[in-house]
Amino acid sequence: MAYLTLSNISKQFADAYAVQDFNLDVEKGEFVSFLGPSGCGKTTTLRMVAGFEAPTKGKITLNNSDITNQAPNQRNVGMVFQAYALFPNMTVAQNIGFGLRVRRERESAIKERIREMLAIINLENRGDSYPYQLSGGQQQRVALARALAIRPQVLLLDEPLSALDAKIRVSLRAEIRSIQQRLGITTIYVTHDQEEALSLSDRIVVMNTGVIEQVGTPFQIYNFPETAFVASFVGTLNTGTAEVVDPAQGLLDLDGVQLVSAADLSDKQKGDQVRIAIRPERFSFVSEEKKANIIDCKIENITFLGSIVRIQVIIGRTKFYMDTFNNPFLELPRIGDQTQITCSREAVLVLGIPAMIQTLLDPQKAS
Amino acid sequence: MNVLTRLRRFPFWSWIWFALGALYFILPLLATLEFSVSWDPADPLKAYTRVFAEQDFWETFLYSNLLAVATILVNVILIVPTAYWIRLRVPEARRIVEFITLLPFVVPAIILVFGLIGVYSSPFQVPFTELTLMDPLTTTKFGTNVLIVAGYMVLAMPYMYRSVDTGMRTVDVRTLTEAAQSLGASWFTIITRVILPNVRAALLSGALLTFAIVVGEVTLASFLGVNAFGPYLFLLGQHRAYEPAALSFFSFILTWIAMGLIQLFTGGQGQAAGTR
Repeated sequence: MAYLTLSNISKQFADAYAVQDFNLDVEKGEFVSFLGPSGCGKTTTLRMVAGFEAPTKGKITLNNSDITNQAPNQRNVGMVFQAYALFPNMTVAQNIGFGLRVRRERESAIKERIREMLAIINLENRGDSYPYQLSGGQQQRVALARALAIRPQVLLLDEPLSALDAKIRVSLRAEIRSIQQRLGITTIYVTHDQEEALSLSDRIVVMNTGVIEQVGTPFQIYNFPETAFVASFVGTLNTGTAEVVDPAQGLLDLDGVQLVSAADLSDKQKGDQVRIAIRPERFSFVSEEKKANIIDCKIENITFLGSIVRIQVIIGRTKFYMDTFNNPFLELPRIGDQTQITCSREAVLVLGIPAMIQTLLDPQKAS
Repeated sequence: MNVLTRLRRFPFWSWIWFALGALYFILPLLATLEFSVSWDPADPLKAYTRVFAEQDFWETFLYSNLLAVATILVNVILIVPTAYWIRLRVPEARRIVEFITLLPFVVPAIILVFGLIGVYSSPFQVPFTELTLMDPLTTTKFGTNVLIVAGYMVLAMPYMYRSVDTGMRTVDVRTLTEAAQSLGASWFTIITRVILPNVRAALLSGALLTFAIVVGEVTLASFLGVNAFGPYLFLLGQHRAYEPAALSFFSFILTWIAMGLIQLFTGGQGQAAGTR
């Protein structure tokens, strides 16, 4: 049995469901992110694990015990909030030691644990400072230390980096991941930032309108989105509607342009309409290499984005983006040029076909 | 920077309004002080020495202070958890509670005291029986004290509730509560170790206002027949000239001392509360 299990969890507010039929197993030591837009139910789900919201339906078990109706202060779950939530009247050390003092641990043990935690978050000399004397990043590190000090069974982080500026966000997320791995603590992380979720997580749960869209590793979520929502929410994705020409061969027609996909189209008929998706970085110029799909297109626009160059092309009547790495010797076509670009069969995703991942990962089927 | 630029940057109108405001408050005070020391040019503090020599002054003053402390204590015990619970769990009830807290401004103290006397001056009996649940409160000193503290609680409620509610608005009560809960704290620990210390300044402001109201209150004390400072001040004002002025000035000084103490005890809290 998994360490943390959420079974058929639903949460209803008035007549609307914030979360519906949520099922998830989290293994001990795993880092799972809930990713989705505002109002998708990710924070509500996290709050149900913390005990701040009671599920309307379903069951939550942690380490083989049912915690569904347990009070938040009985769960031994550490929580880090977006707004830091440090106690303003207490020093950093008092904040970190608060949970241990509530548990009436020995004062010497508390002091030792505070020292340990301050060392982990690299704030050894700030124990006597008050929260208002720290920067946002430092305050959030203290909040993390405070949550970890009680040796929680699960660590819950509710958009902990949202209030910080971009540079600190990146460094602190690396620090969070490193501490989590060092302590081997089971962690659930709520975010609407795909980059955060992709860089931190062992697994990502993509949510939309209260339901799970897809659960998978960052690699699976990014490369093999199962639904149109995941495809559009995670990363930049070109989508279009194509007609099935030959299901057995994976042959599709996009506005008169023939494309071949590695997706399993066995349940499709000739003439069916399907939504296809191609990541911009999966395209390259034919002049550089040739793959299964060679596509005629017209250059519509070229945008310089630093490390990459984003080129807008028109394939048939559909506008697609193509990304290529920037280098000082890059020879780019000019706007209005007719050119040929290429992509592999695997790059042409057909949305709504979960089996595609297996197909793609199975070399015999993929060939 | 030339003189003209400096003059242009000087907040002229702000200072004018500040000076006018200061005059409005300070002039009557100065006039009271000047009058209180004009009784005997040979002994400018005569009014003060007379007042402080009166045993009635000390008795009524100490009694009113005790009533004020009791009112503040009961108000804190009742209002802090109420305001906290409303912010945390029933924010939609805030408008109703705010309306209720405004009632003491609308219903005069005279109505309140007649209501209290009407209800509590006769024994509480089980209807249609001779069984007495409670003796009349107005017949005993303790009962009268309970009644007057209850009345003062109502009168001071708007000030105390609003102070505490404003204090709670400056800290994120909900998130702090959840943070404390996740760390294993009970409700008692949360209120005493997290919420109360963070609304300390607001609480002291409310307490000071309550103190000022109770110590100077006349209507409730007169009609309930208690020997409080308010009626004493009132009587003194009717029969003497200089002593009431001295007492008024003394009250101002007391208030300022209390405000100074609040500043002293809550010095760092403004910064501490403004962490986010």
